[in-house]
Amino acid sequence: MANSRGEETVAQVSVNHSIPNHLIPMPPIIETRTLTRKFKENRAVDSLDLTIKPGELFGLVGPDGAGKTTTLRLLAGLLYVSEGSGTIAGFDLAAQPEAIKQRIGYMAQAFSLYGKLSVLENLLFFAEIYDVSPAAQKERTQRLLAFAGLTEFKDRRAAHLSGGMQKKLALACTLIHEPPILLLDEPTTGVDPVSRREFWNILTELHLNGTTIIVSTPYMDEADRCSQVGLMYEGRLVICDSPANIRGQLQGDLIEIFPEDWHQAHRLALTLEGVREAQTYGEALHLLVDDGPQRLIEIQEAFASQQLAYKTARIAPIRMEEAFISLIRQMEQR
Amino acid sequence: MNLRHIWAVTRKEFHHILRERSTLILVLITPTALLLLMAYALTVDIQNVPIAVLDLDRSSLSRSFVQQITAGEDLQLYAQVNTLDEIEGLLMHGDIKAALILSPAFASDLLSLRGLPLQIIIDGTEPESGAFAVDHIAWRAEEFINTAISDQIQARGFSIESLQPIDLRIRTWFNPSLKPRNDLIPGLISMVLGMPALSVALTLAHEREHGTLEQLMATPIKRSELLVGKMLPYIIVGLVNVIVIPILAVLWFKIPFNGSFALFFVLSALFLFAILSMGIIVGVFMPTQAAALALSFLVIFFPGFFLTGIFFPIASMPEMMRMEALGLPGTHYAVITRGIFLPGVGLNILWPYAVMLVGLGFAFTGVAALFFKKKLG
Repeated sequence: MANSRGEETVAQVSVNHSIPNHLIPMPPIIETRTLTRKFKENRAVDSLDLTIKPGELFGLVGPDGAGKTTTLRLLAGLLYVSEGSGTIAGFDLAAQPEAIKQRIGYMAQAFSLYGKLSVLENLLFFAEIYDVSPAAQKERTQRLLAFAGLTEFKDRRAAHLSGGMQKKLALACTLIHEPPILLLDEPTTGVDPVSRREFWNILTELHLNGTTIIVSTPYMDEADRCSQVGLMYEGRLVICDSPANIRGQLQGDLIEIFPEDWHQAHRLALTLEGVREAQTYGEALHLLVDDGPQRLIEIQEAFASQQLAYKTARIAPIRMEEAFISLIRQMEQR
Repeated sequence: MNLRHIWAVTRKEFHHILRERSTLILVLITPTALLLLMAYALTVDIQNVPIAVLDLDRSSLSRSFVQQITAGEDLQLYAQVNTLDEIEGLLMHGDIKAALILSPAFASDLLSLRGLPLQIIIDGTEPESGAFAVDHIAWRAEEFINTAISDQIQARGFSIESLQPIDLRIRTWFNPSLKPRNDLIPGLISMVLGMPALSVALTLAHEREHGTLEQLMATPIKRSELLVGKMLPYIIVGLVNVIVIPILAVLWFKIPFNGSFALFFVLSALFLFAILSMGIIVGVFMPTQAAALALSFLVIFFPGFFLTGIFFPIASMPEMMRMEALGLPGTHYAVITRGIFLPGVGLNILWPYAVMLVGLGFAFTGVAALFFKKKLG
């Protein structure tokens, strides 16, 4: 389950899908039509058409301020809808928000549990609010504590947990009523890499059990682990497809080069034929080209003739990161 | 409303009160501390008012008069002086609030029943202390006449009543010798018991600030369940004060408690409901704790101090303010506390005030529930 490469996880997920075949095609569990939310004149979410099928692990990506949080808050019934409409599990977003709230688990971006309460008390508080029967409470809290790796910390006050543990506790609290839909707003932002990996292992497990998950994230490796990805830019949904298809949007190949003089290399690369785009990636320069093998040779020759030193130059696989930056640049240029 | 939901919120809130020392102090200690502070602040200034005496007569009668004037705790003889200039100096420095000048003919005028030749100079920058000094000098002078020279008066065939040399009017709440605290403290109690309203306003704003309200809004909890669940613990904590504060009043301040404690307890619960509903309204409208704190003082505590008739009679207020006073729970509760403490009246007299408290409580809660939306915007 915990694969190191995103693509493999997605492939495995589609094979192991637990939804019976005879139920496909299923009606969407979340559907919005020209859903819009305005703050004064600013359209934070602009004519959003979103269709999410049951059991999807849907990643919402986009730069800061693209409207990811507003979208999730709209879906959670926390904001008034300005224009358009939407349904979640068959209930209308504007007219039946309370019915929707029974069926979703919402996790806000900031830590929003009670710091003075212990881990267990937080879980039990939400169990009561969601009308979980006392018998089920005992079983579920134990299971969720184990699931989130918090059993030994159950009596610790939530305020005294590490950032990663707080996120896992928040997730456990949203799961206490076993909702079919999860709305998670950047659940792994500010979390260390190990906790981030653990958190995604939990999400993948939930996904495999059929829970529909909408998760916003700034991390492209996380987007790679989703079954569907929606890219938002300035309130609009720019593209919505599987990670493989989004990567495929980028025609051509990626050349990775480690130059000694980064600035000169960057300038030179953009003048070369067939180089569409240059992105920086740490010490490396990522060049999007039309034909990898041919351009690699030309680039190496050009660098040699200009006497620009470099460590390595190779053709690398295109990841979500490059596809994402390329798409955002195209949007910005419009 | 689902009782399980309300209790879940109440229990959580209790954890917060008990585990957060500042909240615990705010709700449990503040009312007691405030009562002690204000009861002393509002009576201590008008005890031991320093005065100077310029005795131009220097007779044995004038000396015993001065002794009588300064015998109590109300007036304190700061200095015996010999010239008017000295008095001016002492007044300028603020060492004394009033000066008493006995004319050279003090003894002879008094004994010949020509009057009481006294001059009192008061510091006009502190009229309360000055007026207090005048009242008390007059009161003690009368006492002096009644005791020291009544024999001479009667020997001449007059009755003391016919000779009242001074028209005596003393404002009760500025007169320790008439036990002003008996009236003041029950009024103050009505004010300090409303303190949990501040906590309730802050707790809602606190949840808003910390994002926990956003999480709660994403759950199916009903608005009324949340608001009632939040008020309940502060009503319970407030009722602890309802027990502690009268004990303090009776044992420490020696205020007589003549009415029924059970009635006091029940009516206090109604008052807490009404005043906490005001706190809830503040919490519903204010985005931050700082704003909630400021608004609480503006709409709950300052009006509660000045408009509820504790210090200034409501009857003497302008029409508009009288209407506002009727909308304040403290106005009605002040009548209840005074009524139960001093005359010890019962529900047969206090019921209209109880009805007003219930009415205000439901009105305020209704407004809060109406404007509290499970939306961020």
